[in-house]
Amino acid sequence: MNRKVAAAGAGSIAVLLLAAAMPGAVLGAGSGDAAGAAGTQQIAVSAWQAALIAIGYYLANSPWLFGLAFFTLYRPLVAGFFVGLILGDPAQGTLIGAAINVPYLGFISAGGTLPADAGFAGWVGTTVALASGFDPAKAVTIAFGLGLLGTIIFYGRMAVDSVFAHWADARAEKADIAGVALMNWLPGQLLLFVISFVPVFLFALNGPGAVQDALNRLPLWTVNGLVIAGGILPAIGIALNMRFIFRGSAIPYFFIGFILMTATHGSMSLVVVAALGLALAYLHLTFVRTPVEPKSEAAVAAVPRTDPSTVAGATPRIRLTRRDLIHSWALWTFFAHANYNYERLQGTGFAHAMTPIIRRLYTTEDEIRAALKRHLVFFNTEPNFGNVVHGTVIAMEEQRANGAAIDDDAINSVKSGLMGPMAGIGDTLSQSTITPILLALGIGIAGGTASGTAVPTLSGATGNPLGAIIYMVLVSIVIVTIGYTAWMQGYARGRSFVTEILRSGTIDRVLVGAGVLGNMVLGALAANFVVVNLAPTVNIAGAQMNLQAAIIDPLFPGALALGLVVMTWYLLRRRVSPLALLAVYLVFSILAAYPFFGPGQANSSDYSYGACTSSLLHQYTPCGAPPAPSAQP
Amino acid sequence: MGLRLVRIDDRLIHGQVVAVWLRALGAERIVIVDDATARDEFLREVLTLAAPQGVPVEVCDVASGAARCIELAGTPEPVIVLARSPRTVLALRQAGVPIEVVDLGGMGAGPGRRRLHKTISVSPDELRELRELEQLGTRVEIQIVVDDRPIPFQSLDSGN
Repeated sequence: MNRKVAAAGAGSIAVLLLAAAMPGAVLGAGSGDAAGAAGTQQIAVSAWQAALIAIGYYLANSPWLFGLAFFTLYRPLVAGFFVGLILGDPAQGTLIGAAINVPYLGFISAGGTLPADAGFAGWVGTTVALASGFDPAKAVTIAFGLGLLGTIIFYGRMAVDSVFAHWADARAEKADIAGVALMNWLPGQLLLFVISFVPVFLFALNGPGAVQDALNRLPLWTVNGLVIAGGILPAIGIALNMRFIFRGSAIPYFFIGFILMTATHGSMSLVVVAALGLALAYLHLTFVRTPVEPKSEAAVAAVPRTDPSTVAGATPRIRLTRRDLIHSWALWTFFAHANYNYERLQGTGFAHAMTPIIRRLYTTEDEIRAALKRHLVFFNTEPNFGNVVHGTVIAMEEQRANGAAIDDDAINSVKSGLMGPMAGIGDTLSQSTITPILLALGIGIAGGTASGTAVPTLSGATGNPLGAIIYMVLVSIVIVTIGYTAWMQGYARGRSFVTEILRSGTIDRVLVGAGVLGNMVLGALAANFVVVNLAPTVNIAGAQMNLQAAIIDPLFPGALALGLVVMTWYLLRRRVSPLALLAVYLVFSILAAYPFFGPGQANSSDYSYGACTSSLLHQYTPCGAPPAPSAQP
Repeated sequence: MGLRLVRIDDRLIHGQVVAVWLRALGAERIVIVDDATARDEFLREVLTLAAPQGVPVEVCDVASGAARCIELAGTPEPVIVLARSPRTVLALRQAGVPIEVVDLGGMGAGPGRRRLHKTISVSPDELRELRELEQLGTRVEIQIVVDDRPIPFQSLDSGN
């Protein structure tokens, strides 16, 4: 069975490699002079730059950055910044990364699922866009396609890594502690390096030329359509995230955020919006929210005070040192997902983290073998808040080593019973609340203009690398703090910590407050990144006026974009698949660029700004409005 | 239809359920049917507390769970039902709970278990129970998170 799955994984990786190599071989020859048609500046990607970008993508999926890669390098905002650094334009890179990130705001990877590879979209998408001189809007559309392709790497790895779990089993049988640890990272990382480095290297080297070449062969209106899609696809990402926070009494804050941003023509700093959001969150928690009833009073009395995980033996012979605990926590934080696989998920990662504990507590070969095998089984939780499970289990192991009557069943039932609920809370906290809010903030800072003047973000204003840097720092601090606290408290207080923190309502308060803040920031972001511009004109008092600039926008600026976002949210709630929406929106965007109403501007080579086109929708700004100042640097 | 999702998941409540399914379905109540969990005071409390604010969690054994599910199926309130094993769902179905579709969301690998798809593995007993569910007219599907396309169990069941 494993061999079959592994073969399927290897097969899918081969397909990806082929896809990466093809454009270079087939199309690469023809790019040359035609590439300049759009009149945009281009950067040639050298082999060493492509290699650096490919290493960056590998690192984004690797354990080497204190387990923080998933929250930092993996996000297109951050990837854009680093690709920009590598290619010599960090500001533009950050801006493009920020735009690419918006459709991934609702991105959640839970329990071995990956809706799309946001990292691949970020690293390869920014490279293609930056090298080709694309503006962010076009980058969004192209990167989204790349993100779907990238999932092949993840699923290939999930399948093949199951094999390495069995290698770890074999080491456990020999009571080989270091061997189990090694099997958790070495083979999985070698595999991951190859299957992530090679395709990204080839894409970075050949992709820009191939994409430009393909675009040059398309009729101009379809390329305009891709730009229009760049304003429409972010609605899906924002709506995906709205599914988590656009609820109940927090809903109005989304509209407040949106209106604040449109009323100031996009010039309000996202930091100001977030600060207002924090203030409103405080007021909301104080005045609006119905008081929390203390949860399950009856159960409080029912939980036995003599919690087996906190009662130590009379005179402990072996004690774990603080250093052991920190060592174990660090191993987990680094290597939880180093060998992530379908069969055990984080199973080998858990065993790896337990190695310092096992080394300290057990001496005989039988004890060591039993302990290693005990912790190599299926395990999966959210790797930060979920650390209460590890802390609790370590405390139980310590008591067991000191002679307490704790059998395998007791430890297994704590692990398997707690890992699910803790993941539920942890994912809600880290993946669907903290990360998107901080990302939205970072994207807002990245997409805002350095000078503070009102420039529509999609039109390619200069980006601000601070957005990526501030996001990285904030998210790292928050995630590490949660992980460390959960680990140490879980150890010190065991199961009573779990019930205590859940009962106190602290997590609920954080989530409600974050919901208010998140809605404000998300609304503001929607105003900046979702762009719907009607092109048709109407005859008013003898003058041709644009329908949107003359009639809709003066009444309610951004009404169409807001309508699109809310409609998308509603459709997702009705369980319309996001992929189906993506396909429909993409086709619609391209059709909406077709010059239905006569030749007009749609066939002009200057598709950036200017007069009204004869299509249904228009890119960038409502036509007839003055173009945004100095778009391209 | 009150039972919006009937799911077999050996981790019961976790990220996919709370952060993804619950929000996507707008469910307002979770019913967990599992004999062992219903007996464990601590786990019962943790599961009750682990769901988001305003989403009550009920932990039932199979006998009382069947009655509760039949009752809730007749109300407009959107409910998610979670069970650890196909046996529990089969028991619910045989007790008259109207289950149109059962979703296989997480069934871990282990000795003697055969992998059907990604994180879904089954023992020979479970395979038999799932087939029996299909014979009773309940569709068995694999859909790990809401954005996945449901995969019919029949298309993966090679019949051995």
